[in-house]
Amino acid sequence: MAGATAALAAREAGGRVVLARKAPGSSGLSGGAISVAEDPASMPDTPFAARSGVVESARRIAVTRPGHPYRVLHGRLDRLWTALEFATGQLSSVLAPPSGRNRWLLTPFGHAHAAAACARSMAAGDLAEVRGPLVVCGFEGHLGWDPWLVASGAERVRSLGAPETLAVRLDLFRWEDAALARPFDLARMLEAPGVAEEAGRLLRKALPRGAAAAVFPPVLGLDPGARVPERIAAEAGIPVAEMLSDLPSVPGLRLHRAIEARLAAAGVEVLQGEVRDASGPDVPAAVGGREVVARSWVLASGRFVGGGIERHGALMEGVMGLPVLASEGPFADPSVRFAGRSSASITLRDSRSPQPLLAAGLRVDEELHPLDAEGRTLHERVFAAGAVVGGHDPASDGTGMGVAIFTGWLAGRAAAGRAP
Amino acid sequence: MAGEASQGTFDVVVLGGGVNGAGVARDCAMRGLSVLLLEKQDLASGASGASSGMIHGGIRYMTSDRRVTELASRDAGYIRRIAPHLTFRIPFLIPFATHGEEATLLDRLTWYATEVYVGTYDLFQPLKGGKPSARLTAEELYAVEPSLRPGLHGAVTLDEWGIDGQRLCLLNALSAAAHGAQVRTWTEATGLVREAGRVAGVRWRDALTGEHGEARASVVVNATGGWSPRWGKSNGVLVPMRPGKGVHLSLDRRHGNYGIICTAVDGRQMFLMPHEMESIIGTTDDDYYDDPDDLDATAEEVEYLVEGVASLVPSVRQSRITRAWWGVRTTIYEYGVEEDDLSRDHRILDHAAEGSAGLLSIVGGKLASYRAQSEEVTDRALALLGRAALPCRTHEEPLPGGDDVPVASELAEQHGVPEAIAARLVYRHGSLAREVLRVADDDPRMKLVVCRDEGIIAAEVAWIARHENVRRLQDLRRRCRLAVGGCGGLDCARPAAQVVARELGWSADQLRAELSDLLEVGWRERRPVLDGWQLAEEELLRAVHRGLGGL
Repeated sequence: MAGATAALAAREAGGRVVLARKAPGSSGLSGGAISVAEDPASMPDTPFAARSGVVESARRIAVTRPGHPYRVLHGRLDRLWTALEFATGQLSSVLAPPSGRNRWLLTPFGHAHAAAACARSMAAGDLAEVRGPLVVCGFEGHLGWDPWLVASGAERVRSLGAPETLAVRLDLFRWEDAALARPFDLARMLEAPGVAEEAGRLLRKALPRGAAAAVFPPVLGLDPGARVPERIAAEAGIPVAEMLSDLPSVPGLRLHRAIEARLAAAGVEVLQGEVRDASGPDVPAAVGGREVVARSWVLASGRFVGGGIERHGALMEGVMGLPVLASEGPFADPSVRFAGRSSASITLRDSRSPQPLLAAGLRVDEELHPLDAEGRTLHERVFAAGAVVGGHDPASDGTGMGVAIFTGWLAGRAAAGRAP
Repeated sequence: MAGEASQGTFDVVVLGGGVNGAGVARDCAMRGLSVLLLEKQDLASGASGASSGMIHGGIRYMTSDRRVTELASRDAGYIRRIAPHLTFRIPFLIPFATHGEEATLLDRLTWYATEVYVGTYDLFQPLKGGKPSARLTAEELYAVEPSLRPGLHGAVTLDEWGIDGQRLCLLNALSAAAHGAQVRTWTEATGLVREAGRVAGVRWRDALTGEHGEARASVVVNATGGWSPRWGKSNGVLVPMRPGKGVHLSLDRRHGNYGIICTAVDGRQMFLMPHEMESIIGTTDDDYYDDPDDLDATAEEVEYLVEGVASLVPSVRQSRITRAWWGVRTTIYEYGVEEDDLSRDHRILDHAAEGSAGLLSIVGGKLASYRAQSEEVTDRALALLGRAALPCRTHEEPLPGGDDVPVASELAEQHGVPEAIAARLVYRHGSLAREVLRVADDDPRMKLVVCRDEGIIAAEVAWIARHENVRRLQDLRRRCRLAVGGCGGLDCARPAAQVVARELGWSADQLRAELSDLLEVGWRERRPVLDGWQLAEEELLRAVHRGLGGL
């Protein structure tokens, strides 16, 4: 997401852009939420309506979390909203526009998750907006999702403003091998003529009086063009949404495809292959066998899944060999060198604690230039964006997509030579 | 089994659901005694579940304790008879290495001595159905194991049996229950009840429900392993022991088909071996006097193990270590002896002289000899109870599933599941695999593959929840290795939890708490080895379970 946002922002700023990658990014593993910031000052019993908006929440994170990229960029957080509107606008084929406050979306684990923006197919399931009973659906023929577990996520936040729920299993997929199908197969099955309609008819029969919306497992079609949620909704007579997805993720695949389509439409040249001889701007580098010379570089190579940060005995940045200096907790202090320490010594025993190892990445300045151990800028025209920037745990701290989009947008514009 | 009131009177109360405790409970129950087995966590959650997963004959003990080798070899043979489905052959290679380029006279003498030594061990092999050793030339050695470093001069082979130690322990407990024993897991013996210089029973507390009570018995067997010294102290008896911490590492796949004996940096022997679907590197042996409930592997232990194997198999440095795991050996106390040289024999302590007549403690021993050890304890218990000495049959009667083990391919065809799934079911459940698959015959959804690493289907999860004394989700780590492999539960944890919750009637909140607990155990094991791709996997796991799951 960071790389695509940077490429699209640089393109919009008039730059000629090559996006080099060794594999599709980890956005394909996204569950459908664009998580930017959840108010750290809110209490567990603070109602949805009383929680601060997304940008204000990011400002509060900047105050409370030393080392977090929002802290580094706190002087520029007034542009966070513009960046978010830009990215969701570019991907409007699959993403619903953000409203300024968090949506609260159900997950397969029975949890309500905060997201500044989300997949279009999920917007109707916002617990803070649904007025009236919410029907949580599972499938009679498939054990993949337990609607009672999912619904418990809403029950736990009833007092915060979530609707009451009703869990039902629709008598769907009770044929041949559907019981054993993986999410992508189910998504394809629902696209077939008549199947989404059948789901809608079954749902209509199960609806309680006054039902306001229904939430389904996140398999409502691989192709948004198949209009599976809309077809179910038309048949059932109420809005239909998907819950967020774990892995493998159908919504993640849709997002990945939308990014691909947008990059192509915007004229971003995508080169696939390992990047070699990456010594920086104006020097030729080999990307999948092709030579590329660029005036500016944006490193948006991700964290461990993306491969931007690697650990083979010690932590290092994988493309340019930059030092890994930023983390959080006791290692937010830039004077503490931790990259060579054992994994046991840079993790905490309680997995729920912030984990410095999982928050490790590049240290950057306010312009997103990677810094060395002495705090010096490594190159005026090298920028870093997304999870390769350290100081936050993008996988689980609820700011991963926000940092990706914000730093991607800033870095892309800066790389194209346009002041933010 | 769990949850039944354990108020009441028994002949014997056994403390500790490790292989010794479960073995004693089984033997006592089979010989007609009424038995209560108490385990403060789950079956096999201590050293029995952290053993190297071998019922080896103990070639290492041949010079000091030939009796231990003979006992272990003979009993390994019995285990193969009563649980044939659970054992598998592991051929080991003992490569001949030199320090310099050319073999010195001393090197050659060492190799010769090794050959003679292994040759002597061959005398014990018939007891356990093992194959005799063979001498391999360098060429033959590299043909069977190309990953070995260059420059080796050949090897001698050594045949051993692998086993799932956790299921071995479980099967003993299930068999005990089938013979009338009460088995209560997650139930701690909080104190000993004494009357007139004798034990009269124990007080217990259920860790999950808070329920507590008193069980009366005139014989109490303390088989709490590494917890024994502390348990003894708080109950006024002395259980001398040299507890030894042992750490293993798992690799994400079978490295090859041969185990390899290596020499660690300090000259100790260690190994890399294929085991079920993964490889195991083991083991360390260090005195450990801290709390056995509070173990972790250290960076030093991890590096010690990897370095030892890398001396013969350099590519191990590039392999993916999925977890470190550990336990505390209950070695017999001796002063002035190195850990490795401590006897692996066992002792049965009678605490009558300490005002606790009727209390027996078992110390030491090996996984392979658990059955013989249990037999000895049961003999002593019968004597204390003044009962007629009925003959022991634990070496003859198969453990649950150990009779009439089906052929996986036939089972696969009959029930319409992939052969790989059937093979794992037969491995874990023996003849009971047929019952597991009957669950899926009645409900095709139950063929859903929950874990592709271990070949777990929903039907197996449901069957285990129904029949294998499951009280917590993490119990399934030891029943079918749920969420233990490289993926750490990314794919399997939630669907499996849903199935268990349905079987055991858990609420959504309880399900989430159990899921969280299961994942936390895995994190503890992965923490010391997070590197390379395993670190990327951890990032995904966190994204799903912490980020999305809010766990």
